[in-house]
Amino acid sequence: MTEYAPVLVGSVTKYVVVESFDVTPADLAVRAYEISKGAMIKETCFGLVINGKEDEVDRIIAELRKVDPDHIFIKDRGFPPGDPRRCRANLGGARPGYHGMEYEMRVIPYVSFGLEELKKRDENTVTPPENPLEHKILDIAKLKKMINAQES
Amino acid sequence: MAKVFIYPSTSLILSDMVARYGHTPLSSAVAIREKIQTAGFESPPLQMTPEEPKKGLKWAAVEVPSGVRGRMALYGPMIENCEAAIIIDNADFAFGCMGCARTNELIKFLVRQKDIPRLDLNYPQNEEEGVKFVAAIKRFLNGLGGAK
Amino acid sequence: MTPPVRIAQLSCGPEYSGIQHEIDTAAKEVNGEIFYPDVALKDIQRDFDLFGLDVRSPDLKLAIARAKELVEGRVEADAVFIATCFRCAEAAIVRNELRRYIHENSKLPVVSYSFTERTTSGTLLTRMEALTTIARRRALLARETQKGITLGLDSGSATTKAVVMKDNKIIGTGWQPTIEVLKSAQEVISHALMEAGIQRSEVQAVGTTGYGRFLVGKEIGADLIQEELTVNSKGAVFLADRQHGPATVIDIGGMDNKAISVMDGIPGTFTMGGICAGASGRFLEMTAKRLGVEITELGPLAMKGFAGKVPMNSYCIVFGTQSLVNALATGSTREDVASAACHSVAEQVFEQQLQEIDIKEPVLMVGGTSLIEGLVFAMGELLQTKIVVPPYSQYIGAVGSALLASGFIKDD
Repeated sequence: MTEYAPVLVGSVTKYVVVESFDVTPADLAVRAYEISKGAMIKETCFGLVINGKEDEVDRIIAELRKVDPDHIFIKDRGFPPGDPRRCRANLGGARPGYHGMEYEMRVIPYVSFGLEELKKRDENTVTPPENPLEHKILDIAKLKKMINAQES
Repeated sequence: MAKVFIYPSTSLILSDMVARYGHTPLSSAVAIREKIQTAGFESPPLQMTPEEPKKGLKWAAVEVPSGVRGRMALYGPMIENCEAAIIIDNADFAFGCMGCARTNELIKFLVRQKDIPRLDLNYPQNEEEGVKFVAAIKRFLNGLGGAK
Repeated sequence: MTPPVRIAQLSCGPEYSGIQHEIDTAAKEVNGEIFYPDVALKDIQRDFDLFGLDVRSPDLKLAIARAKELVEGRVEADAVFIATCFRCAEAAIVRNELRRYIHENSKLPVVSYSFTERTTSGTLLTRMEALTTIARRRALLARETQKGITLGLDSGSATTKAVVMKDNKIIGTGWQPTIEVLKSAQEVISHALMEAGIQRSEVQAVGTTGYGRFLVGKEIGADLIQEELTVNSKGAVFLADRQHGPATVIDIGGMDNKAISVMDGIPGTFTMGGICAGASGRFLEMTAKRLGVEITELGPLAMKGFAGKVPMNSYCIVFGTQSLVNALATGSTREDVASAACHSVAEQVFEQQLQEIDIKEPVLMVGGTSLIEGLVFAMGELLQTKIVVPPYSQYIGAVGSALLASGFIKDD
């Protein structure tokens, strides 16, 4: 067995995903380069990947969020940008997590809409979404009404 | 700040929401990062060695496939550490770390066994559901208290 | 250097079992390269629906979509490796159905494997070697006749075999238990040459196969060093004169068993088992010893017995032998015990391996154990077919090697 010597120990990597009509990944990259002090920034088709010390990455991200807060989304990444173990060029196909993100990208516009709306509305006035674990049973009074409607 | 377990643990949306409203998301990426930043024996791509499925025995018995036990070695500690959880129930296309349905069933079960605040919901499918989705998550996270 | 063979991996779980590196290493050792066919999410959803196998695990959905990409030619590959967790029922169904789907709808060689965290690159090597050989050496494997004078050597885990062939005929053979790998090899070669009346210097090409193929091959300067899956397939269809069309080759060896689905002499899908010695030739050897007969007498003895009379409910070589001892102690006849031992081995191979390939007639049994007629009979009963045991079946690897080695004879 070969010994493994990790690289970039103590650094964090984060995805900055932008799903916006007004801001492109390139715009975001320009802004990130302006404010970065030594963090590694890589532009991708959906946004940026940023690697560096946690405080530095968090600082850059806080600034970037301001560009378009309701349309910029952030998550951690295990691997640093361009890591050959996860790079599509080496694997032939996308890393497994990519398709999961591809799926969420379809949903994100609804989330962005929600974020925008909640600037105008108090979240406590919004009806809760359906709980997937609760299987609603038909109310007896409603059933009776339906039967009566059929009979008349 | 509460440590919030998110399901799917690879979710960009949940990870963002939890951090956005001032808490710490527990995600697969952080667990994987810990693996690849720790010295040991080489086992690319994830630096998960055959020892991981053995560690997974804590959460799943030996007759459970190695892939389930290996994944549990990633998620088990996260489930033990979490103080709250948000679960998206219809995450049918979350691959890789979340690629095994049996593991996912076990993860959700173990989280639901814990006596912690939990929010179960589905992905929004239109704008109105998007509003409900974000509002529910915001309410839930604010309710946890101690947000940064 | 020849470009690597591109092996598409369809899998669920190896990264999390800690064995992806073992797969990559095994592939690299035989100049193969693992890759993952690229698919977009919309293709995954469409192909998964079209395939119609409604599994829950996303990684298995992805595997299904990738298989369709390969079969429909949207992604190019030379071979396919399907790997899922051992003991996962959902994955086992997908693994079998994908293997069948790819086999029936493309020319891509496929090997499927169910791994545990203990799987090593060594275990995978022979399978990978066969996979890359089929992909890379189709021309070599297309050979149907032996030419000139060639020598084939099969250095197996239990026995070492050699044959000398001349102008498509076997003219000398040698056989002995494997003790010291090189010494046993030299002795069987000498015997085969002597029987053939041929000098070593007259031999135009040499091929080796079996566990000791690399060691012996290097020592005797072999022209072809080849794993036993492809070699045995060639040997089997050559000896049985079934070089065209489908065939199934079953080889119950001393240490592992091979079941190979062959088309025109080239393996399409295959399995190799070897987790438990209770399903091997070794078990029959131990049974023969316990019954006080030579292994050559075990078959005829078994034919006189009735397996059903002896309770055999262990798959383990140790406990299996214990069952036999108990049966003898409680009055079972030696014939029934011999028959039960044969049935037990056949049943294990049937249950554990033959489910993983498509059985197409003729079914050819080869290797030393094919001479144990009780075992062949038991297998025939399980498969409900008449099993063909070709002449020289115990020399199958050596014959396949000698046949393929003649492709290396240089034209003067």
